[in-house]
Amino acid sequence: MTGSSKTRWIIVAAILAVGLAIAWSARPQPLTAAEHVDRIAAELRCPVCQGLSVQDSPSETARSMRALVAQRVAEGRTDDEIRAEFQRSYGDWILLSPPLLSPSGLVWLAPLAAVAAGAWLAWRRARGGAPVIAGNGPTAAELQRLRELVASEPE
Amino acid sequence: MNRIARYSAVALIVGLALVLTLAFRRDPHDIKTGTVGKPAPAFTLLSLADGTSISLDQYKGKIVILNFWSSWCIPCKEENPALTNVWERYRGTDVVLLGVVFQDSADAARAYTSQLGNTWASAIDDSGQVALSYGVFGPPETYFIGADGVIAGRHIGPIDEATLMTGIETLRKSAKQ
Repeated sequence: MTGSSKTRWIIVAAILAVGLAIAWSARPQPLTAAEHVDRIAAELRCPVCQGLSVQDSPSETARSMRALVAQRVAEGRTDDEIRAEFQRSYGDWILLSPPLLSPSGLVWLAPLAAVAAGAWLAWRRARGGAPVIAGNGPTAAELQRLRELVASEPE
Repeated sequence: MNRIARYSAVALIVGLALVLTLAFRRDPHDIKTGTVGKPAPAFTLLSLADGTSISLDQYKGKIVILNFWSSWCIPCKEENPALTNVWERYRGTDVVLLGVVFQDSADAARAYTSQLGNTWASAIDDSGQVALSYGVFGPPETYFIGADGVIAGRHIGPIDEATLMTGIETLRKSAKQ
């Protein structure tokens, strides 16, 4: 094995080792019940607060909601079931991240639509070559006059 | 290309104007809940007066005016005369007025009802779970439950006698049909 080939192998092994370490540390960890409650509470809007989650609010209502989430987690309900229970009472509004398939889902779709429209315009422009100049452009007579002016200029 | 850009700009402005118009037209007090038009969530709570069980089921077939209140809530005190008048007018009929105390202690709530002379039943929602199941934001809130057990309407904030009467009579009419 030559020196450069050995170096290449060492680099590949190092990259693999770093990749494996990252994958290992990012592997899904089983949540404790308290973490589970925290996660759901962070997704729910506190109804009596200004833009605060149930997790962040110290209000009485948020405390009741958190207690209900804890009770449902202890009963073994899934996240979807717990979220659905609050949605039944308060509508989609109770979720800080509105579901994609709802009128509030426009919040997610609008930026995507804007990016898609921008990308389409950029693609059209790139395909068309030089940027299009606004207006109708110079007439043949104007061009002729311009040529004459350039030709008459002293070098 | 320019035409497309112009049309896109116009569409964007029209869309923005539409969104703003719809947003400003909406009454900020008209907070949507998922429960209006759906069967009223069942509950069994303890009576504030004597600790016996009160459940929604026992009022099956009646019009129930469910009023969420707390003793510390000033608007609850404001609406109390309207509730008293309506209770006096309908007591013993097909209309039931039921209070639900939440975010409050039983002692404070009992002192409040005794001070104001309220004689309709109230139940205590210690955990606040009944209030959450109805989608209550805060006291006072009043729910109109029809004889069919479906929530026909909700009023946020202090309610007046006219609103109560209109709600009750609408439900009575629809129950007779």
